[in-house]
Amino acid sequence: MSEEPKQAQAPSGAPRREGGSGGHGGPRREGGGPGGPGGPGGRPRGKRQYFRKKKVCKFCVEKMDFIDYKRADILSQFVQERGKILPRRMTGVCSRHQRWLGVAIKRARNIALMPFAGSAAGTQAPRAVVPAAAAVEAPKA
Amino acid sequence: MEERLYDLIFIARPATPEEEINKVLSGIEHTCAEKGGKIEKTEHWGTRKLAYRVAKHREGIYVYQQIRTNHGELIAELERRLRVQDVVIKYLTVRLDEDLKRQKKLMGKREQRAARRPRRTPPAPPSATEQTAAAS
Repeated sequence: MSEEPKQAQAPSGAPRREGGSGGHGGPRREGGGPGGPGGPGGRPRGKRQYFRKKKVCKFCVEKMDFIDYKRADILSQFVQERGKILPRRMTGVCSRHQRWLGVAIKRARNIALMPFAGSAAGTQAPRAVVPAAAAVEAPKA
Repeated sequence: MEERLYDLIFIARPATPEEEINKVLSGIEHTCAEKGGKIEKTEHWGTRKLAYRVAKHREGIYVYQQIRTNHGELIAELERRLRVQDVVIKYLTVRLDEDLKRQKKLMGKREQRAARRPRRTPPAPPSATEQTAAAS
């Protein structure tokens, strides 16, 4: 059963291959992909069609050997909206740089350049609620 | 003992007059001179928004300094003084020289590797090809 559809598809797939890039492994597998749902009937078609772009460590690309904790603009790219450090699998940072990045973010948090929890927007929101209190505090200080 | 490089950042209250900050700075300078340290640079970052509330303030005046010293006690002393200062609401000292040394080492390695690579390819010495063949 499984051989027949493959044979039937092979000739139809051949011209496509010639018209395409002419690679060996990739195109053949793609030809088998549409055959998949016909045969076992279980696989969704979309499975082979998308493939994830390989993420590259941004710090390796820019050849940064030292991540400065003072550059909150860089660090904030690797932090969630609420201030959590993003995992490596999300950002594609290599393990070494992720280690340094963690240290840098924690230092930045210490000196209030980065939030521990809650974003800059988070601190702005309650600010609108207590302008009166702030105004009272200000003249005292 | 070898020389060490430190970062020193402190945050002053947002409404602090400049003289007060200068007073703090001169105090730091004084202790540095006393304990044998050198201020490499001083930067005034001005008033910045804090990422979270510190001593009920949402903004603060940042001052950044780099200090080079042989004695770690100087930093301990500086921290003690900053803690006492009423104007300073937060401070941070970070030892930098180890990180910078590592950076320099890695940079050197990268340059070495970059220098080695082109040399290997154009002449293609037989020994290198044999090695790669044996390795593969």
